[in-house]
Amino acid sequence: MKRARIAHKGSAVWADLVKNDTVLRLGNGETLPVATAHWLPPVTPGASIFALGLNYADHVKELGFKTKEPPLVFLKGANTLVGHQGETARPTDANQMHPECELVAVIGTPARNVRAEDALRHVGGYAIACDYAIREYLENYYRPNLRVKNRDATTPLGPWIVEAGDIPDPQNLALRTFVNGQRVQDGSTADMVLDVAGLIAYLSQTMTLLPGDMILTGTPQGVHFCAAGDEVICEIEGIGRLANRLVAELAP
Amino acid sequence: MIAGNIYGVVLNDRPQLAQMADAFAMPPYKAPPQAPVLYLKTRNCLMTRADGIALDADLTEVEIAATLGLMFGGAATKVSSANALDCVASVCLALDISEPESSYYRPAVRQRCRDGFLPLGQPGSFDRNLFGADIITSVNGAKVHAWSPQRLACDAATLIADISSFMTLAAGDLLLIGLPHDAPHAKRGDQVHIRCTGLAPLAIRFQSATTA
Repeated sequence: MKRARIAHKGSAVWADLVKNDTVLRLGNGETLPVATAHWLPPVTPGASIFALGLNYADHVKELGFKTKEPPLVFLKGANTLVGHQGETARPTDANQMHPECELVAVIGTPARNVRAEDALRHVGGYAIACDYAIREYLENYYRPNLRVKNRDATTPLGPWIVEAGDIPDPQNLALRTFVNGQRVQDGSTADMVLDVAGLIAYLSQTMTLLPGDMILTGTPQGVHFCAAGDEVICEIEGIGRLANRLVAELAP
Repeated sequence: MIAGNIYGVVLNDRPQLAQMADAFAMPPYKAPPQAPVLYLKTRNCLMTRADGIALDADLTEVEIAATLGLMFGGAATKVSSANALDCVASVCLALDISEPESSYYRPAVRQRCRDGFLPLGQPGSFDRNLFGADIITSVNGAKVHAWSPQRLACDAATLIADISSFMTLAAGDLLLIGLPHDAPHAKRGDQVHIRCTGLAPLAIRFQSATTA
């Protein structure tokens, strides 16, 4: 089962994908074709949004870092999210803005002090995120700092949440990013340094993870700088394809 | 009580910036901070327990930094410092609890976002005179710390303008305007009281027992 969040007749509503993902069915029984949907990020208001840096061995090597111990966890505000087929503003001076395709684990049941071997039971579903970075805005304070990672609508997320039961092994999924049709990232969740279960166990050592919380689990190698007008598609096997378009940020 | 994101800022205390001036030039920082150095507090930080805040077994003491939380009533996107405070609807006392940590290189999520690590006082009307008031912390009945937002290197209006140049502070968000670098510490069993003239006081306690 896939669940999407859409804008419909003036409300933000959840809807199930039916008929081979061609139709959205709302809780009240209404249906609409996916082609007419206005997609929103499938996020629960108030959810904590965790993200991982340097969590793929190949990407760590590409950036010239050593694998960090402990995990590099940072947080994002809800202002960063934008739905499938949305737009992301690229600042005029952001010549080093690149997409990062990431598997998102969505917490389904509260988790505190869970062991890695039990952790996947707390996952409700999976989604795709594109966690854009702008390298020229990096500073060495709480890096990656918010000027890089917390800009409005710079984290496309969706298109929907696939129920965890439909993803039997989250550590064996191909992830790819295409910019204007050109493949710029091609990895596997098998290459995560700390896997989904390990991340949940780690985070839950010191905090209660609540239903709807999201963990963006990091990105594989493939740093490709984008321009305004680029169409960026992040794809994860078994989940779908998340589309976004970069647009030039309005001049102040 | 908080509908949106909770942001805070570190390295906004003038005496601390003076102390760290040399360190800023050295690795891992290599240059002084340009943009405000921000962090988020997650919603589990607001989880409250009737029997007090429980410290995880790996902690012997925590830093307790009292500050002001500005609650946004309107969105601040690319606002000027002259207009920034128009977006603030109310203000509350906040106790930003963290595991003591001297490095500012990596986001301190584990140190800052444990369950119950952001007690908030009752919100009151925003009044910019509060920026000149003393924020006083007492532990077990004894005054241990006092500071004023006048110490902030970047005042609240400038801070909001700087942040809003690259992200929106939306209605429902909370902004903690800065932390005193010399904040006191607390341990299990301590009773902590925060007061500031013009705002509802905030009283919390830490559980005596060690959690499993």
